[in-house]
Amino acid sequence: MSAAPRDPADRTPTSNPVLRRALLWSGVLAAVIAVVGGVVGFVVAGTEGLVSALLGTLIAVGFMGITAASILIANRFAGSDLFVGAFFGIVLGGWLLKFILFIVLVVLLRGAPWLDPMVLFIAIVAGVLGSLVVDVLVVAKSRLPYASDTKLPPAPSDD
Amino acid sequence: MDATTVLAEISGSIATVGYGLAAIGPAIGVGIVVGKTIEGVARQPELAGRLQVLMWIGIAFTEALAFVGIATGFIFGF
Repeated sequence: MSAAPRDPADRTPTSNPVLRRALLWSGVLAAVIAVVGGVVGFVVAGTEGLVSALLGTLIAVGFMGITAASILIANRFAGSDLFVGAFFGIVLGGWLLKFILFIVLVVLLRGAPWLDPMVLFIAIVAGVLGSLVVDVLVVAKSRLPYASDTKLPPAPSDD
Repeated sequence: MDATTVLAEISGSIATVGYGLAAIGPAIGVGIVVGKTIEGVARQPELAGRLQVLMWIGIAFTEALAFVGIATGFIFGF
């Protein structure tokens, strides 16, 4: 993280750069898993395997990324009186919406003739695990100031 | 048919019980993670950014299990 001086009036939480970097690397990971999974899926199950691997990767990394994205969106309300309520409303609302969407997707896609269920499942598990690894690596390599969002009183002068 | 068999009889797919369990566990986990984050931010608001990152990692690990649990719906039945 760059040590750029912050505007004292800036109340944006310092977690934003970490979350943004995590989203970026999740995208890179999604591309890698999509390529590798697509090739393996195509070898194992033909065109259906290719489509399943791409879809599974998209579902897993996309849904895992929604949490970070929702925190980033919620942090735009930083400094307002409604921040705490808006923050947890957006983050938990996004979480709920994500799982409802995922269950609906499972119901809709199950038994689709153009999908290979096993390749799809393995792609989702690989995407979820890979996204966890990326998240942990990004957080481990990031440097968050210990007391980040504090406002210090002005330094005393000897005049 | 004896009483035990009658009581234990289930019609339909037992897998659906698993999807319910896959949803309820992470729901409790995320509730604890978020609740503790609220406690932490209430005590030390200046740590909000740091706590948000930790909360996000906690949510990610908790929801991973839910995803894998519900995704088994693709390979097992309803």
